Amino acid sequence: MTVPLGAYIAVSAGLFFIGCAGVLVRRNAVVILMCVELMLNAANLALVAFSRRFGAVDQRGSVFVIFVFVIAAAEVAVGLAIVLSAYRNRPVIDVDEIHQMKG
Amino acid sequence: MSFDFVEPVVFAVLAFGVIGAGAAVVLLDRITASALLMALTFLCMAGMFVLLGAETIAAFQVLIYVGAITVLILFGVQFTKQGGDRSYALFFQKQYPLAAALVAAVAIPVALFAFSFTAPAPPPGGGDIRPLATSVFTDYAFAFEVASVLLLAAMVGAIVLTTRDERAEAARRRK
Repeated sequence: MTVPLGAYIAVSAGLFFIGCAGVLVRRNAVVILMCVELMLNAANLALVAFSRRFGAVDQRGSVFVIFVFVIAAAEVAVGLAIVLSAYRNRPVIDVDEIHQMKG
Repeated sequence: MSFDFVEPVVFAVLAFGVIGAGAAVVLLDRITASALLMALTFLCMAGMFVLLGAETIAAFQVLIYVGAITVLILFGVQFTKQGGDRSYALFFQKQYPLAAALVAAVAIPVALFAFSFTAPAPPPGGGDIRPLATSVFTDYAFAFEVASVLLLAAMVGAIVLTTRDERAEAARRRK
């Protein structure tokens, strides 16, 4: 591996903070879901990079990536279903406007 | 001749793709473009997994993220379309010869390269799929089963959340 581990971790951290900023700044619910996916993917890169460098034979770290894939797929399916059913009640997608469930 | 410079160059291109496309997802106002750039981010990430030697993970990444999740998000974008999103490709819709020439300029070299490509012999041991599969189906078998139940629950939940009750809706409309 001629590319140092730190470079992969830097890309991973950069993408994570981009996703984090997107979740905090954007108000479109679908864009927020996309940014959560970016954050999950950044974590995947860190997991694979550390697993390649330190997991000698069995690559345990990569196994967790598969579980992250499963969680991400379930999350985006349920998240989009919630967004769609909220949109059907009132046709807004702005998360600041969706407050009818506020106590 | 040594090829040591190839890996850093490929890494730099992929890192630029990941960070640039990721930033564009957040910064762009056109949500369809955001979704497609998210797919580009995931593709560059798959390239990074290949660079790290995790080919199986890269294949899963392309199948699940670029294939399934992006399509799902694009459907979500279409269903929650707000006014004011401009339509796409107005320029190329009126310029068929130019569009065809551009596609051909990219597609023909790629096809020629693909047909003349001879792959080196695969490494012995079958890459990373053997250790991965061994871990998943021995030490993490329980977690694997729980994950499959979670996917089933998510599927049922998504169907329940999005199914409309036609009769109740008609009754509400009549009121």
